[in-house]
Amino acid sequence: MSMFVIGYYAALIAASCIAAYFQNRQAFMLLFSLTLVSFVLGIVGGVPALQGVTIFAGILALAAGTSYAFREFLIQVSRPAIAKELRTAPLTAAFGMFVIFTYAIAGIFAPWIAPFGQSEVIASAFEPPNEDMLLGADQLGRDMFSRIVYGARNSVGLALLATILAFVIGALAGLYSAVKGGWLDQLSGRVADVIMSVPSLIFALLMLSIFGTYLWVIVVVVAIIYSPRVFRLTRAVAGNVVVMDYVEAAKLRGEGDWHLIRKEILPNSTAPLIAEFGLEFCFVFLLIAGLSFLGLGIQPPTADWGSMVRENATLISFGDITPLIPAAAIALLTVAVNFVVDWMLFRSSGLKEQ
Amino acid sequence: MRDILGLVAKRLGLGLVTLLVVSVLIFFAVELLPGDIAQAVLGQMATEETLARLREELGLGRPAIVRYFDWLAGAVTGDFGTSLIDGEPVTAKITDRFVSTLFLAAYAAVIAVPFAITLGIIVALLRNSIFDRVANVVTLTSISSPEFFLGYILILYLAVKWSMFPAIASISSGMTLLELLERTFLPALTLVLVVTAHMMRMTRAAIINLLASPYIEMARLKGAPPWKVIVKHALPNAWAPIINVVALNLAYLVTGVVLVEVVFVYPGIGQLLVDAVAKRDFPIVQACCLIFAATFILLNLAADVGAILTNPRLRHPK
Repeated sequence: MSMFVIGYYAALIAASCIAAYFQNRQAFMLLFSLTLVSFVLGIVGGVPALQGVTIFAGILALAAGTSYAFREFLIQVSRPAIAKELRTAPLTAAFGMFVIFTYAIAGIFAPWIAPFGQSEVIASAFEPPNEDMLLGADQLGRDMFSRIVYGARNSVGLALLATILAFVIGALAGLYSAVKGGWLDQLSGRVADVIMSVPSLIFALLMLSIFGTYLWVIVVVVAIIYSPRVFRLTRAVAGNVVVMDYVEAAKLRGEGDWHLIRKEILPNSTAPLIAEFGLEFCFVFLLIAGLSFLGLGIQPPTADWGSMVRENATLISFGDITPLIPAAAIALLTVAVNFVVDWMLFRSSGLKEQ
Repeated sequence: MRDILGLVAKRLGLGLVTLLVVSVLIFFAVELLPGDIAQAVLGQMATEETLARLREELGLGRPAIVRYFDWLAGAVTGDFGTSLIDGEPVTAKITDRFVSTLFLAAYAAVIAVPFAITLGIIVALLRNSIFDRVANVVTLTSISSPEFFLGYILILYLAVKWSMFPAIASISSGMTLLELLERTFLPALTLVLVVTAHMMRMTRAAIINLLASPYIEMARLKGAPPWKVIVKHALPNAWAPIINVVALNLAYLVTGVVLVEVVFVYPGIGQLLVDAVAKRDFPIVQACCLIFAATFILLNLAADVGAILTNPRLRHPK
């Protein structure tokens, strides 16, 4: 038995005992069940499995520390009202905000961060990492790291554009339907039903096969596919606001529809809409990533995470994880947005599970 | 009882109408092509003569509405026309692949459904404990990952590093069931991971929702143990939402299968669709889209009908 294994179990058991002593039941249960699971893991996988668990725990601890520090930082720099809200954010939400912040920096300052251009061929195909290239070269000899940084700008930017368009279409239709009612309401409701009854990826493939894989086609098609979700939510939320007395009063004052929407209804339905924006972004982002993975999204040589996975997939059969990094980047951003949305939904709905 | 039958019939009728509208959408979307199909297939350089010949062949001279009803009548009887690229009948290309895709989806569903519901109930029982939070983070991560990410991770570890399963799901007709199951294990596992996470979260939410109702409070106050509260009192009323969850996720499987088939080079209908989109082979695209959409609509329909049938209030009217 190596020193590592002895140290590993000693640390786990000591930590369990400390948790038990301080009567922290949950931490104790977690640590002690981890100890028990480690027995099985150690027998099946040997020392490497235990080392894997240690590395994983280390990464988790690092992420938790970073999130904690980032939350403190946000609390310090923001105004008192916002700071008070931020104090209630769980660590997962803080982690999400940190990741989103990092991606935003990478996307905005991509040309300054990336050492090479996104379509600049600087080495031979699939060259392994060296001092110049952090992650090696891709299938055409372009710097992988630079392309991932540029991908933050291209992939996320495109998804953001499509989400905003989907939101404008869906929210406007929802608000007008709620205010006007009647045949307009019925018609847009039925159109939304039809769009939602076709699986989104299939719908997107059909439209792209007809109009070709141009950027504007992708943005418009994806926006149309996901606008019914926004429409339904807006329609439901605004439907509850429209029957309020103050909206009735505004109507009697003779205000126009646009005024009703902008001044009376919208300010009272923002909270669920903001959370929906985050969720919607995740769906759009995953759909566009799937399309580019199939070779039908952003076209080369523009760097894009989905197509990078596909182009470099051959490396995986040699046990190289580089092609998974762009895929992991997609997953990480989606998880981060979901964490933040979870917190927002919890806060805005006051949903306290028993 | 008549109430239920009426509701079910109404829902079925609505599903049929939806399917019809979607078929109109799929057919007439192609009519939106700038120029027409012949132009799109042959490109800008085609001479008037060849264009005219192809138009003649495709019957483009007739009005679109007539061609739509021809196409629909063909589709209902299993005839989707011929491929634009090689002139073979579309139905022959689709049939085998559709069976393969259904096999993969069913394989994934058989593993995922019992697994996810059991886990969902356990997590609902342990709600707000540290296990619940860990499960929350893990399922959220799994949902947020693109299918190809999960697929490649499984290939990297289970196929390349530990060589337990084949990375490429190549199947042929002469294989035994056991061989088939082994060859398609990784794609099925990828689908299981995605769908289980969804189903588990939705089952948990459905049960926790119910736990807030007064009759559960009553059961608790009379001293029933927690597991009994869930299994005896909550579960019978939770079946409707759970059936809904299962059907919705099976519908989700239908689309998830496209990406997974491409990752594992599995000869299913999703792969065919993606190839056809790249080659702009419209009859195949239309046929595949119609099949996917029909499956999706049918499963959603099944969810609604299942929810109606298991609703105790509807089954035992006062």
